[in-house]
Amino acid sequence: MSGEASVDRERGRTEPAGRQVRPRKPPPQPFTILGLAGLVAFTLVTAWDWALGIGFDPLALPGELADSNPAMVEGLFNVTDADWRAQYVELLRTHFTDPDSPWPLSLDSRIGGGLVETVQIAVLATIVGAALSLPLAVLNARLGAPDRVTHAVVKALNNVNRAIPDVIWAALFVVLVGVGALPGILALTMFTIGVVVKLTSDVVDGIDRGPIEAARAAGASHAAAMRTALVPQILPAYASFSLYAFELNLRGAAVLGFVGAGGIGQAMSYYWSQLDFEAVSVIVFVYLVLVIVVEQVSISIRRRLG
Amino acid sequence: MTRASVRGSGARAAAQVRPERPFARFRWTVTVVLLALLAWSTWSVDATWGRLLQAPGRAVGFVGTLVETASLEPLGVALEAMWESIAIAWIATLLGAALSFPLVFLAAANLTRSRVRQPVRQVLNVFRAIPEIVLAIALIPFLGLGPVTGAVAMGISSIGTLGKLSAEIVESIDDGPLQAVEASGGGRLERLRWAVLPQAMPEIAAFWLYRFEINIRVSAVLGVIGIGGIGGFIAQAVERNVFERIGLGLLVVILATMLVDAISSRLRRRLIEGPSPAAQARRERASTGGGPTGDDAA
Repeated sequence: MSGEASVDRERGRTEPAGRQVRPRKPPPQPFTILGLAGLVAFTLVTAWDWALGIGFDPLALPGELADSNPAMVEGLFNVTDADWRAQYVELLRTHFTDPDSPWPLSLDSRIGGGLVETVQIAVLATIVGAALSLPLAVLNARLGAPDRVTHAVVKALNNVNRAIPDVIWAALFVVLVGVGALPGILALTMFTIGVVVKLTSDVVDGIDRGPIEAARAAGASHAAAMRTALVPQILPAYASFSLYAFELNLRGAAVLGFVGAGGIGQAMSYYWSQLDFEAVSVIVFVYLVLVIVVEQVSISIRRRLG
Repeated sequence: MTRASVRGSGARAAAQVRPERPFARFRWTVTVVLLALLAWSTWSVDATWGRLLQAPGRAVGFVGTLVETASLEPLGVALEAMWESIAIAWIATLLGAALSFPLVFLAAANLTRSRVRQPVRQVLNVFRAIPEIVLAIALIPFLGLGPVTGAVAMGISSIGTLGKLSAEIVESIDDGPLQAVEASGGGRLERLRWAVLPQAMPEIAAFWLYRFEINIRVSAVLGVIGIGGIGGFIAQAVERNVFERIGLGLLVVILATMLVDAISSRLRRRLIEGPSPAAQARRERASTGGGPTGDDAA
């Protein structure tokens, strides 16, 4: 405050008009006005309780949260109840151990098997999807495509692919190859391609062109130039995005079971339909632990990749 | 010098021309682990791989049926479902933005001491780790099964990513204005208002829009557990073999998602890059009529 005042005094001596010391604030940009107006209008339309809105009332939300379905709450997370906790531990024991097996952990139950299948689906989809993504990512970038037509076609196909949510792919593959883990693997493969190609080709656009020019000057064909001068530059980022896609796949794999595409979601929707909320709670819990553990491992590897 | 002459001049010279490739232990470990994982999954997963061979034939038949049954009759219902997905995603994005916004500044290294910052970051990590479907299931006993449940679940799960990446944006701002505000006696709030927000806000808002694009896809996914929207519409149509709904639903979801992506990415570019030079010049020409606005002392 005092600093500002002294500047004013100093300026006052040299410049008679005090108004000129502080420039007039420019009027807000039309973009800002229209943007804010559009934001408010869109929010009101979508939040209002009418044909075009979902009826979201932030003020009523605390009341709705307090007014719960007791049967479901008791099943899902009645953590303060000692009986519930004992039953929970018992459920974990029956689902994850086998008295006849010498191993401390058994994954043959509906829940354990679903968990393993979820990991298998995510692993296969990530490896196959990422392997297909590398050439596609090169073609999806203007620098990497041999000609404009290839670039446009690959880009358009990938945009369509990314616009289809993974469960919809799963539902479609269930029609094509029947229920089970296979449609889940195929669906998440498409999803992996969408994510990895998009992110990696953004990296291709920003790389150093020197090595490619050098390779061309030495007489390399387009494919050879890409392989020797472009791919080595994007490899660390590509590996990192592939691991990121694995994390996303593991999380996405939980929903697949709801459309018949395998994994832990199948057990989830089974127990949900049986109204066995405690089993649902157990599934959600072990699945969450799995996701967090895998994510921590993946993050530490990604950090190592730089 | 040809390759042959190099080789001929002895092993030592050859070794000097091309240094021996170092043994990449990390790369080998990764390759072996990946191959092992791939082999284990391929053999042990309960997938009937043989069906892959039938898939192309079936796909042709499926697409044929879609074309044959193509009809615009369910267009109204499909558009309504798509709009509901967009509405859910929008509310979820706003909710995530509002809930994450205060945490952003507590998670940024250039604004907050590490004693406060580390716990906040951990909280953000927890939100990031929880899959949307888990949150949605946990909310169903309280909110029932509907669009609001989906919006709240997605909003909460957006907190993690929005908070973490916005904090990274705040950390990348120029330190100068922060020091200037501090030097003229500004406190915490003044620093936020005059140094942080003007620099970080455009990028943060752009990131909110990007999250909206992602949330549209997520809301379609949550549709299958029954929160409404286009995801449930298509999944039900597939389950009941209502082909005209499958085809039209797919068309609507692809076109609408691509349209929203295109609009959103233009808005994002405008937010980050500012007005185009032509628009800026037009504005300046219009405003110079009112006398000099520039002041070289300012």
